[in-house]
Amino acid sequence: MSLRSPWFALLVTVAFPFSLGGQNVALVAEHLYTMDAGPQGGPGMVLIRDGKIEEVRQGAKVQPPAGFQVIHGAYVTPGLVDADTTAGVAGAYNIPADRDQDEATDPNTADVNVRDSLNPEDRLYEYVNTYGVTTMQVTPGPVNPIAGRAGIFKTAGPQSPFHTVDPLIVRLNSGMVFNLGESPKQTYGTNHKAPVTRMKTAEMIRDALLQARGYQDKWDKWKQEGSDPSKQPTIEPKSAALAEVVSGKTPAIFNAYRADDIDTAIRIGTEFHLKYMLASVTEGYLIRDKIKQAQVPCLVGAVMQPVESMETANATYENAALLQQVGIPVAIMTGYVAYVPKSRVLLFEAAVAAANGLGMEGALRAITISPAKILGIDDRVGSLSKGKDADVVVFDGDPFEYTSHVEQVMVQGAVTYRRP
Amino acid sequence: MRMKMLLWAGLLAFSVSLAAAQSAHDENVLVVQGARILPITASPIAQGVLVIKGGKIVAVGETGKVQIPAGAKIQDATGKVIMPGIVDSHSHIGIDGNPTVSDSQDANEGSGPVQPGLRALDAIDPADPNIRMATSGGITTANIMPGSGNVMGGQTAYVKLRGSTMEQMLIPGTLGGMKMANGTNPKGYGTRGQAPMTRMEEAALARGIFQKAQQYKDKWDAYAKAVAAKDKNAKEPDHDLGLDAVVQVLDGKRIVHNHTHRADDVMTVLRLADEFHYRVVVHHGTEACEVADELAKRHIGVSFTMIDSPGGKPETINFSISCPARLEKAGVKVAFNTDDPITNSRLLLRSAALGVRGGMSEEAALKGLTIYPAEMLDLESRVGSLEVGKDADFIVLSGAPLSTYTHVIETWIEGEKVFDRNNPADLRYATGGFEVVGRYPQPTGGAQ
Repeated sequence: MSLRSPWFALLVTVAFPFSLGGQNVALVAEHLYTMDAGPQGGPGMVLIRDGKIEEVRQGAKVQPPAGFQVIHGAYVTPGLVDADTTAGVAGAYNIPADRDQDEATDPNTADVNVRDSLNPEDRLYEYVNTYGVTTMQVTPGPVNPIAGRAGIFKTAGPQSPFHTVDPLIVRLNSGMVFNLGESPKQTYGTNHKAPVTRMKTAEMIRDALLQARGYQDKWDKWKQEGSDPSKQPTIEPKSAALAEVVSGKTPAIFNAYRADDIDTAIRIGTEFHLKYMLASVTEGYLIRDKIKQAQVPCLVGAVMQPVESMETANATYENAALLQQVGIPVAIMTGYVAYVPKSRVLLFEAAVAAANGLGMEGALRAITISPAKILGIDDRVGSLSKGKDADVVVFDGDPFEYTSHVEQVMVQGAVTYRRP
Repeated sequence: MRMKMLLWAGLLAFSVSLAAAQSAHDENVLVVQGARILPITASPIAQGVLVIKGGKIVAVGETGKVQIPAGAKIQDATGKVIMPGIVDSHSHIGIDGNPTVSDSQDANEGSGPVQPGLRALDAIDPADPNIRMATSGGITTANIMPGSGNVMGGQTAYVKLRGSTMEQMLIPGTLGGMKMANGTNPKGYGTRGQAPMTRMEEAALARGIFQKAQQYKDKWDAYAKAVAAKDKNAKEPDHDLGLDAVVQVLDGKRIVHNHTHRADDVMTVLRLADEFHYRVVVHHGTEACEVADELAKRHIGVSFTMIDSPGGKPETINFSISCPARLEKAGVKVAFNTDDPITNSRLLLRSAALGVRGGMSEEAALKGLTIYPAEMLDLESRVGSLEVGKDADFIVLSGAPLSTYTHVIETWIEGEKVFDRNNPADLRYATGGFEVVGRYPQPTGGAQ
């Protein structure tokens, strides 16, 4: 079907009944949170043209220009950014048919890519958008010591009438996930396969990184020596993927809960000079000085999750605040959930942080501009700034009050959710 | 009959000894004044006074209109909000302990799907940190239940969240309820090639145990009659621990707390209750709003679990935060439960707030934390509202009960403070980190 076909137009209309179809929009807010360097929370207006933010005007007396459709909102924020989630790969039904987050057949699956598991038709994928998430880094699950490559995707948008993954891509290979702690050893160890212990998990990761370094050296040498096709080194997909991590092109994401596992992550990150970040970081507050010293950003895990293991027993609602307090870049993430409810809601997790030391603005920062900066996508998302994607959330009250509502969500200027 | 009487006498003695254990209540008078008071069963009081003596509420009312007894200890709560202690009608604290390791998990006796003889009280650990975490969230009364892996999971325990023994926790004079479950979870046996493998088998197992209990009851009734008629040939029937408890269900002394999600499973619950005329509360009730009228006409309440997102298993895929609002509109009483560990006991106020987000009235949401769950446990004469004569179970909040930014400052059970956010050790149960208090970074936000 041609894109110019009238059928296509009909389909777009049906799939996106709220789509503004390229209209220019003036969003007039009583409380505008741009999350850029400017003032926050005052009245203002965001002008949207062709899916991008054209201009932001502060003040109560802003006049919407002619030709712009005017939308009024009590609280207006940037589209939320979930720094680490398995929504879209760990399906809502949680049955073998829709469980695609953990390739638990080999502790090293560096060569897998979430893009090939991602199902934007999954109910949770759509669900998170209704709570304001417009961009998320989707990661493999918590099982493999080397779990594979994450990607950053929009949760919806004007380009995705067929709900396929490619139009949603913001960046592929945004990170390589390494899992430490209980999950790997409980998956493999209970079947008497490696890793049975934490020390084996660390060894497996170090060994794979070492091999990747050697692999890269081989290829570099081959290129230096004239790229003779007959002497080409054998392709090793896992090492090839990890070579990108060793070179710093793909950041490592160490998912760790206990303080000593976080320490292991820092040790490996330092040893291999990786560009890396910490995820979950449950006991991060107990070694925040070490994290600060290593200058590692933290994707702070959901705190409303049930305590499912020993390693999360010391979870505190104040973790994000305590890390942020010493100057560590902090984003809040939802991560992986094993059972009911199948996904955490980023907005609600941030609300708990807001009420436990981070404050309203701090919590909002941790789910907008801060993750955008940590993930290196702040040129496109994370704040309401000129030239960025028009990803916007409209609330009828303080975004973090449980009794407030998301009134409207826009992705690249298209309304993807409107409160029924 | 003799045996039965002995049984009751034993139970009575047990209750009396419990009452004795509780009699250490402070006979001094405590007055908490200045707060906005939400009695729940009466209109809010802008500036209220709460008078407590001997673990009971002896007066509640407006400042200036309540007489303050001479010599009373006075606590100022100006700017705070006081409401009844929260009643959690569905919890697994103490029986599914913290941290989550197999040794602390005692809710599901997976050795057979029908277990009416089990008593939750024999597996609850009063030292479980989850219990203290629950008090930091304002919960004072809980129905601690066996899990949902069995069609009939065992006898539940109605407790106050205080004390270091079950005897101190159990509410005197209560039997507890009976846990039942249908839908996905009991089908876990099916994956091992055992019954139940299907929903129809679950219903057949439930029907079977009630039929047996009915016959057992008839036998004992006949025996009692024969003894009363001085029939020398009267032969005492054999005792059955499990059937004794099921007979209490048939006699209306023990309420069935039935885990159920899908609308058709809710209807199965109602069908069984209709058939055997027992009292039942629908628990979780993910799709209960689809059959709200059926619940309303039977006056059956729903103890709802407010989760964050649909799924995790197929039967919860249609979860919606609007379900409690739809039930309210149909005239069904809704309580909010934690189902701890599914939702955390520190956040039950939040569940009610999300009910309001879903369209519920604030009044019904607050009742859903207090008087409605109390009714679902037959405890409404003791707890669930701030009324003269009721237990002095109350919480002091920093602000509006349903606001994200509000903290529970104090939790009181029968006139005794069991949680104080201004106490650093208590605070770590509210925030988390209670095992590492010595290493917890200072200073932090702390009390507000």
